[in-house]
Amino acid sequence: MPDSDPIIRIENVSKHFGALKALNNVSLSIESGEKVVIIGPSGSGKSTLLRTINRLEEVDAGTIIVDGWDIRNAGNNINKIRMEVGMVFQSFNLFPHKTVLRNLTLAPTKLKGESRAEAESNAMRLLDKVGIRDKADVYPAKLSGGQQQRVAIARALAMSPKIMLFDEPTSALDPEMIGEVLDVMVKMAREGMTMVVVTHEMGFAREVADRVVFMDHGEILEVGTPAHFFEDPQHPRTKKFLSQIL
Amino acid sequence: MDDDRITIDVTDGAAIPRRKDAGLFSAWWIAFLGALLTLVSLLVFEPDPYLKILKFLPDGIVVTFQVTFASIGFALLLGLLTGIGRISKNRIVNAVASTYVEVVRGIPLLVQLFYIYYAMGRFVKVPDIVAAVIAMSFCYGAYMGEVFRAGIESIHKGQTEAARSLGFNPFQTMVHVILPQAWRTILPPVGNEFIALLKDTSLVSILAVADLLRRGREFASETFTYFETYTIIALVYLIITLILSKLVSKMEEKINYYA
Amino acid sequence: MKKVVLCLLTVLMLSSSAWAKKIVIAQDATWPPMEFMNENKEIVGFDSDYMKAAAKEAGYEVELRNVAWDGIFAGLDAGQYDAVCSSVTITDERKKAMDFSEPYFKVRQALVVPKESAAKTLEDMKGKTIGGQIGTTGYFVTKKVEGVNAKSYDEIGLAMEDLFNGRIDGVVCDDPVAAQYALQKAEYAAKLKIAAVLDTGDEYYGVAVKKGNKEVLDLINKGIAEVQSKGLDKEMRAKWMGQ
Repeated sequence: MPDSDPIIRIENVSKHFGALKALNNVSLSIESGEKVVIIGPSGSGKSTLLRTINRLEEVDAGTIIVDGWDIRNAGNNINKIRMEVGMVFQSFNLFPHKTVLRNLTLAPTKLKGESRAEAESNAMRLLDKVGIRDKADVYPAKLSGGQQQRVAIARALAMSPKIMLFDEPTSALDPEMIGEVLDVMVKMAREGMTMVVVTHEMGFAREVADRVVFMDHGEILEVGTPAHFFEDPQHPRTKKFLSQIL
Repeated sequence: MDDDRITIDVTDGAAIPRRKDAGLFSAWWIAFLGALLTLVSLLVFEPDPYLKILKFLPDGIVVTFQVTFASIGFALLLGLLTGIGRISKNRIVNAVASTYVEVVRGIPLLVQLFYIYYAMGRFVKVPDIVAAVIAMSFCYGAYMGEVFRAGIESIHKGQTEAARSLGFNPFQTMVHVILPQAWRTILPPVGNEFIALLKDTSLVSILAVADLLRRGREFASETFTYFETYTIIALVYLIITLILSKLVSKMEEKINYYA
Repeated sequence: MKKVVLCLLTVLMLSSSAWAKKIVIAQDATWPPMEFMNENKEIVGFDSDYMKAAAKEAGYEVELRNVAWDGIFAGLDAGQYDAVCSSVTITDERKKAMDFSEPYFKVRQALVVPKESAAKTLEDMKGKTIGGQIGTTGYFVTKKVEGVNAKSYDEIGLAMEDLFNGRIDGVVCDDPVAAQYALQKAEYAAKLKIAAVLDTGDEYYGVAVKKGNKEVLDLINKGIAEVQSKGLDKEMRAKWMGQ
């Protein structure tokens, strides 16, 4: 059986913020089921690259194909494509006016036509999975940061996406809560989800990533397996970065 | 989430009582009971002319409410569209909304009422009360637009991103995620505007709309009881706005449920 | 310095009182041809000329002041001016609230309607809306007619504009004013006409003063008598109403 097309294909993508080159001719392909961790110093363009995958960030040039859809083609319904791409944000972004349960069921009921009962049973299963079933009926403001982020992950999963994007999911958390969120992500990885993760958690990258991507100044400088990456980095800037954070 | 709540101050509304103003000796209670007591004692001890005046007013009060409620309805709709237009990335939509706000804010309400009423008279035939509602909605739509804009902008950008990333389109995002949250910020100034609008409907009496004020003036001009009539008119307006401001503050308390 | 100012003020006050008595008269200058503003922002019209002539004949001074109709009597009562001479019809109701001079002008109420209307009397206007100026006899007689919707305006000109635009079906006001709008103003004259001079009886204009202000009333009455005996009022009528 021939290898199917990569589920995400980024080709020669560039983006400017005014005079600043956020992405400079970046290309990256990700296979279905693959776990890719993007690392790099702040301002390196790693979050921008992640956000181009579901078009939260528009690019100036290049091609982005997600699950066979050209997301830069105006004819394609970006909202349909986004339903297949879950996203988890640094700042959780739960809907504060909805209960935890409703945070999970809002999109499935409004967008996929799921019945309330159907959506709720699915939501409860997901809450169980992330370990906060007992908080279903509280409002997000009552939850700790770690709990909120786990709800945010469950919310994204409620749409049964094919791909999950994580934009520094643990950076806003107190240290003691980072573990509970990473545990959920590791569990998800074992179940075969395609994951693209921007993070500073090198332990997670080492344990979970199929490939690690190092970015700086809007360019991909080095791609490799965690073993290659952490034991034998090639690029001088990768070496420097790793020496600073490890 | 409480920390990044923004309050918008809009002048000209009646003071809306806050939680700390509870109790019988708050300004609201003093004003309300004072106005009620004054009105009742005038009616009881000097029914001529005070009771006669009050009996002359009911259909005017009805018109005042009709104009107020119809105008606030349309103004809210227009304000929502304007507010969204003002933050739209579409340049044409943005320019139209912004120009509308600039024009309306630059012209006194009284002048606009005159202008819309008499200018419209040259082209379309609509009853005076409809013309008054159109004029009031047009003016207040612009004020509401600014309230909505500020309210929508007070919601963190991450909320929009979260909704869009789940697959909501911009309209659904607005309806399900942004507006239900913005409403908390928007309600107090909308309540203010509502009460200001009720008071400003007194201006439509110059358009010969038979509202509370005009009915009162008609009575006074026939009986020469100017002082007595305006006393009653002022008390009636005061009692109405005080009741409304209390209602608005009750609604505000309710809407804070999830904080 | 204060003393100097005080002295000057005293001198001013003394000197002004040494002059002839000055009577301040309020007029609502929206009622052509009786009283209205000309291009030079002066109050002119039949009433205005009449008051100046009367003052000259009786040897006092007048100052005309433009005051909105709605509230013009409240201002008189509050002592903001000495008299109101603004096409005020003498009525029993008004006599209770203020004193009137001798009548100086006779009017009747006229009904102005669009050219195509067939109405000849107020009764013909049943089910229709008729405008009039708030607090005027024209508005009062309209209100008394059963089945007619009376609508009050701040100024008669606004009622005429609404009639012109078709928002209302007729306007009732003093006949010289009706003539001014329906016949003299070209734009309106093309569309409006006087349907009828109404059978609501003769009305007489008088100058109103605050109840009990005999001093002013006597002076004005003296002036009116002089003007009438010399026939000056006929000249003014010719000048302002062309009749």
